[in-house]
Order: sequence, then C-alpha cells, then structure tokens
Amino acid sequence: MQLLNLLRANTRKEYLELKRYLPNTLAMMFTFYILFVGMFMGIQFIGDPSAQDVNTQFVIVNYIFWFLAMMVVNDIGFVVMNEAMRGTLEQLCMSPMGLWRIMVSRLLATTTLNFFIIIVLLYLSMLTADQWLNVDLVAIMPILILTLISMFGLGFMVAGISIIVKQIQAFLQILQFILAGLTFVPLSVAPALAYFPFVKGVDLIRDVMINGTTLSQIGWGDFGILAVNAVVYFTLGLAFFLYCERIAMKKGLLSHY
Amino acid sequence: MDAIIEVNQLHKQYKKRRSKEYVKAVQDVSFKVNRGEILGLLGPNGAGKTTTIKMICGLLVPDSGTIRINDIDNQKHRLNALRQISAVLEGNRNLYWRLTVRENLDYFAGNRGFSRREVHARVEELLGQFNLKEKENELVNRLSRGMQQKLAIAVAMLADSEVILLDEPTLGLDVETGYEVRELLRDIVANHNRTIIISTHDMAVVQDLCERTVIINNGQIVTDDRVENLLKLFAARSYTITINGQLTDQQRKLLQDVFPDSTYQPETIQSTIQVDFSNGAKMYDLFDILKLNEAQIEGIDRETVDFEQIFMKIVKGESAHATA
Ligand SMILES: Nc1ncnc2c1ncn2[C@@H]1O[C@H](COP(=O)(O)OP(=O)(O)OP(=O)(O)O)[C@@H](O)[C@H]1O
Ligand SMILES: [Mg+2]
Repeated sequence: MQLLNLLRANTRKEYLELKRYLPNTLAMMFTFYILFVGMFMGIQFIGDPSAQDVNTQFVIVNYIFWFLAMMVVNDIGFVVMNEAMRGTLEQLCMSPMGLWRIMVSRLLATTTLNFFIIIVLLYLSMLTADQWLNVDLVAIMPILILTLISMFGLGFMVAGISIIVKQIQAFLQILQFILAGLTFVPLSVAPALAYFPFVKGVDLIRDVMINGTTLSQIGWGDFGILAVNAVVYFTLGLAFFLYCERIAMKKGLLSHY
Repeated sequence: MDAIIEVNQLHKQYKKRRSKEYVKAVQDVSFKVNRGEILGLLGPNGAGKTTTIKMICGLLVPDSGTIRINDIDNQKHRLNALRQISAVLEGNRNLYWRLTVRENLDYFAGNRGFSRREVHARVEELLGQFNLKEKENELVNRLSRGMQQKLAIAVAMLADSEVILLDEPTLGLDVETGYEVRELLRDIVANHNRTIIISTHDMAVVQDLCERTVIINNGQIVTDDRVENLLKLFAARSYTITINGQLTDQQRKLLQDVFPDSTYQPETIQSTIQVDFSNGAKMYDLFDILKLNEAQIEGIDRETVDFEQIFMKIVKGESAHATA
C-alpha cells in the first residue's frame, strides 16, 4: 500500500510537471521529430535506393528506442544532478521508503508518461516516411518490458554516478551518443553487444516490427538472453546505486553546493 | 526523563578538495535530547552544526560514534530510524519549485508512503496554521523567502514524526519574517508535543524558544546547559556600579589591578564602573577600593545580558583555551 502511494505520488509529480511545462514538452517532441526528419532525408539522398524502405524502417525503430533510452537512462542523471543542486535530493534520502524505491517509482512514472509521447512520435514518423511498421503488441510487450528492466538498471548506474560526481553534465551529454550507438548498431555487425543492456531487446523488436516476426517465432534462447540481461543489469545497477549512495553519505556529497 | 535522541561520541572529518588534508568537522560530540524538549544547537560558522544535524538525519555516516533515535540505531536500522524524524535543512532548499504549495505537501507525504486522502485533513490544517491557505495554488518559486521557509517547516510537520530537526530556520529572513517563523515554532512546541533540535546562530531563536542549548565550536561541545541557567549564571555576576563624582588616580590603578576586566567611565557628575565577578573576584574588594575616597554609591545594577554576549564569551573563552 505504501509502495503504491509512493508510485502514485511520483507519477502525479511527473505528470504535473509535464503538463505545467507543456510548451517545453512540446518543444522537446518537436526537436526529436525534426531529428527524425533529418535522418529520413539523409536516407533519401545518400542511401542505396533499393534498400531505402528497409533502411527507413530500421531508422524509425532505432530512433524510437533511442528516445526511450534517453528518457529512462539519461534523464534520471539530469534529475539527480538538479535535485542535488536544489537540495531536494537530501529530502528524498530522508524518506523512510529509501531513495532507491523513490527512484524506481520515478523510472516507472517517466516511462509510463513518455510512452504516450513515444506513440505519438512513432506514428508521426511512420506517417512522415509513409512506412508502416508491424505494431504487434503481443510480441512487442514482453520484449519491451524485459528490455525496460535492463534499461532501468542502466538508469540506476547513471543515477549513482550523478550522485557522487559533481561535474556530471559533460558525461551525460556524451552518454546520449553512446545510447544512440547502442540502439543504432545492428547485432549482426557486433554480436557481442547482445550482452549489453537493451541491445538484444531492440534487435528483437526490429525483427517484429520490420520483418513481422511473431511471438511464437522468437526462440526461448532469445528470451533467455533478454531475461538474464534484465535481471543482471537491474541487480548490478541497483547494487551500484546503493554503493554510490553509501559513498555519498560517507563523504557528504548528497548536496552539491 | 527519558531520552529520545542519544548522540554518542560522534566524529566526522571531511577530506579537503584537491589536497590530502582533512577538516575535523565534528569531534567527540555526545548529547541527549529528552522527549518533548526543544534544543538549540548553537555555534559560529563552520562549527559543525549542519554536520551534526545531517548525521542525526542519516544523511551522513559518522566516522565513529552512534546515534539512537527512539532507541533505534540510525546506522543499523536506517530506514526505521528515519521514520522517527523529519528535517528542514539549510534554508528553503528543500522544495520543488515547479510545484505549488499544496502539490509539494502532497508529494512529500507520498514519498513517506501516505496517500493524498490520508493526509488531506492534515494538509488543510497545516495550510491554515502556517497562513498558506490563500497561496496553496501558487508555485513555490513565486513565494517569498519567508513563505518558502514556512512551507518547508509545514512539510516537515506533515510527517507526524516525533522528532523535527531544523537547520538555521531563520537564516536570510528579514526581522519580521524571522519573528513570524519563531512564533510558528513556538506554537509547534507549545501545542504539538514534538521534540525539536534547532541549529542556529540566531540568538533570538535560542532565547525565545529553546529550553536547553548545546554550544559547539570547532567541532566540539563547549557548553551543554539550560538556557535559563546560562542567562542566570552570567547575569548574576556582571554589575554596573554608579558613583557620585569620579575615582582618584590611585583608585583607578587599584581597580585595574584587582579587576582587570572592568571598565570605568568617568563623567563629571556620575561615573560608572562595570565589573564582572565571574572570575572569583569579590564585591567586597570593590567596596574596599571605593571606600578610599568615601565615594558615594548611587546604584548597583545587575547587568542584563542577552544571549549573544554569553555566546561570544563562551566561544571566545574556548578559542583562547584551544590556542594556548
Ligand atoms: N561536504 C563537505 N566537504 C568538505 N568539507 C565540509 C563539507 N561540509 C562541511 N565541511 C566543513 O566542515 C566544517 C563544519 O561545517 P558545518 O557545515 O557542519 O558547519 P556549520 O556549523 O553548519 O556552519 P554554518 O553556520 O556556516 O552553517 C567546516 O569547516 C566546513 O567547511
Ligand atoms: Mg550549517
């Protein structure tokens, strides 16, 4: 019950802020849309014309996942940095629920809210490119959920680093490109990336959305990798976050003044 | 009386940035706070007040020493200990500036596991008590500094925890708002049966609100006593003696020898002598000196000291010890 209240409070806060700063939210969506238009034009002009359709579809999926990764992994870094500067991080740390539970609620809340934005962006980009992907929710949802769990793990790592490192901004900016790299590089090019967080998931979703693979066609082995990935990265991420929190409490880093 | 907070031999040092040196922020600090008591943690800048408060709040891990809150060790059972306390740290930095007054109260309640419905009545009551009702839908970044501070205290009250810690609650407030915040705190103490620790270097806060004060300087406790006792102790020993006419040169010299700390202000009609008897000096010795020219004593007034002077004396005295 307490956990539910925690989740509710954090969802409400995220929602209120998104709504109150609607112009900002819209501007951010617009920027992302323009970015897509840029990539789409790029394919039209430089790409191999015979592979154009597949390339475009490929970019749409990658682009949507890049946005998701930014919202889940990168955003929490900025949030922690700002809250440390504002002084609210200390208030969160004093919650008897524990900071990590608040962070999980925040991650769930931002993901849920950004889901609506993602759907808008997805359909907007499909419309712009006139390429219709296979939105097979039955196949997508289980993959997406497992992928999100490993993304949360990565988010926790970024949050942890943001607690103990004061000049984190530059790192977070570079991270945006790393995330782009992880979402854009196909697994066939670098098979070892399957053991990186969320790369395998994006690859499977590409299979579903571009090649029309159905849930039953995806092997248990693939799901196994996804599940192990989710458990390992979430556990590692959380452990690392708790470790960073501990260091911060030893060195007095919870407020960056 | 039973202690709700027991702070035992706390030590904390910070590493200085870009050097191998350490700052000893808190050294061997121990004190107890009784249930329902209001304690002033007093000290000059950099004394270690915030460090001490943050260790009690579980935001800083001490290098050594223990803190028990309601008999719960705050390192071994951190979250459970946190349930017993709420705190407002340094000024108005504890709020979400993009949320309204009410949304802040709701959000922080949620973060402690309460639902909005559960705290609804309590929020209404606090908005009224803190005079924030007409501002409830105002964004926090549009509020004045004083209002923000009041809201931060209201947020701390919302948790219904037994212990409240306030770090510099009147810092940066103008005289009027400072007074208003003190009134609010006084009301909380009188009617809400909480245990409160206030860190401050605002003497008015200590003199107005606190029953007891722990004075800390350079990370160490210098004094731990009832405010009333300190006032009495110092007030009782400091006197202003008014005489008719002036002292002779010989008397002045004797006065200087016997009471080196005394001050003498000659005036044509009435002169005054201020003497502090706290160092074992005796009033009779003063009378002996005055008797030499049969000086007429017009009045003996016990000096009224305010807490500021006491504080300065204690802190200065301690620094003198430390450097000697
Ligand atoms: N996070 C930190 N890292 C390094 N040194 C610190 C840190 N926090 C405090 N200090 C140092 O520790 C000492 C005690 O600081 P503290 O903030 O506890 O004092 P204070 O009594 O609250 O002072 P003030 O009245 O200025 O708020 C000071 O010398 C301060 O410079
Ligand atoms: Mg301080």
